[in-house]
Amino acid sequence: MTAQAGASGPVPPRPAAAGVAKLLVPSVIGALVALALGVYGRLHHPTGIAVNIAGFSSPGAVKSWLATGAIVFAVVQVGSSLVMYGKVRRIPAPPWIAGLHRWSGRIAFLLAVPVAVHCLYALGFQHYSTRVLVHSLLGCAFFGAFTVKMLILPKPGLPSWLLPAFGALVFAVLTGVWFTSAYWFFSTFGIGR
Amino acid sequence: MNSKTPLITLLAGAVLGVGLLVASMLATPTAAPRYSATPARTPAAGVTASPSPAVPTPTARAVVNVPARADYAGEVRGGGASVAISIHGSQAIAYFCNGSVIEAWLKGTAAGGHLTMTGKNHAHLGAAYQRNRAAGHVTAHGVRYTFSAPVVHKPSGLYRAITIVRGAKIEAGWIVLPDGSQVGSLEPKANAARPSATRAPLLDVATGKARDGGTVLVARPISGVTGSGFGQQ
Repeated sequence: MTAQAGASGPVPPRPAAAGVAKLLVPSVIGALVALALGVYGRLHHPTGIAVNIAGFSSPGAVKSWLATGAIVFAVVQVGSSLVMYGKVRRIPAPPWIAGLHRWSGRIAFLLAVPVAVHCLYALGFQHYSTRVLVHSLLGCAFFGAFTVKMLILPKPGLPSWLLPAFGALVFAVLTGVWFTSAYWFFSTFGIGR
Repeated sequence: MNSKTPLITLLAGAVLGVGLLVASMLATPTAAPRYSATPARTPAAGVTASPSPAVPTPTARAVVNVPARADYAGEVRGGGASVAISIHGSQAIAYFCNGSVIEAWLKGTAAGGHLTMTGKNHAHLGAAYQRNRAAGHVTAHGVRYTFSAPVVHKPSGLYRAITIVRGAKIEAGWIVLPDGSQVGSLEPKANAARPSATRAPLLDVATGKARDGGTVLVARPISGVTGSGFGQQ
């Protein structure tokens, strides 16, 4: 894989090969991000605690609300991208839609980061139940997939369906992360701070 | 679009993440004990020499509103067995039984709203706990059960009796549920190589006594709230 990427240097590659290389490097970086998070979560001994936000009853509540905030902004992401791509017939794309899409994405991502830090530092990558295993896997995969999406975003010449596909993947993974954590938390302990 | 902005977003997230990680690391040593608590730092369950501190140990900012002392008891999902958990500071004791042959005593640590406990024969319990309930799973005799147990108050909760009759160690545990119903298992030869449990005799929660044939078992409550049963395991 690396040999192919390296070979594309001196000789001008064919367009298809260039497309593969453009996708390959971000994909490898994204995979390494996901892998690094998982390995850290598995090797680092969970402490049980981490820094927290005052005013909530527990770290679980804080994380559930932050994750829910991330999901809300992620829904804005999907909606704004549908409008941007002209998929919603009745709503023509307003000039600020790109800004809305970018900022909702940034906020969703930045809301997810503290949750992930707490998960990895305080709890670690766990597998003691199906829910926990799925959550651990998807949580790591989310940051990998998001990294890939960010890295391919500015690259010209990629197939037009690729970015929406990665956006959908990131959203789907985040939804899975939320359902296996915040949804479980709220349905178990009740919706409260 | 500026091609740098997605990269800046990623870097901002990375910086935030690393910053929070460093802050967490700085907060940890002075805060609650780690899961891998060393006996010097924490009176781990099983260490008789270190008595439970009279004052509740100062908890970290992170865990200030998670109860430091609590008792939970409830049926597992689908019924058929019950689980009781007592949390006393960083220590936790749990008992799982079906009022017959399936039972397990577990010990472990509580921190930051999460419990990790182990027992004999690969018994394992993992749960999250809040003020109102503890929820998670328990694996005993190779079978996994899930539960969501409410917080309970005396006389509901966990009871244990250990008696030695003619060299045989009799060990019994009872879980008294919030509705007053109880489930208990008894090991007539707990010190045997492969102890087997049976249904425990009815426990009188008022006196703490149960009669097993000609033997009177005296049970003591295991309570995280009072500290009873902790530090003397």
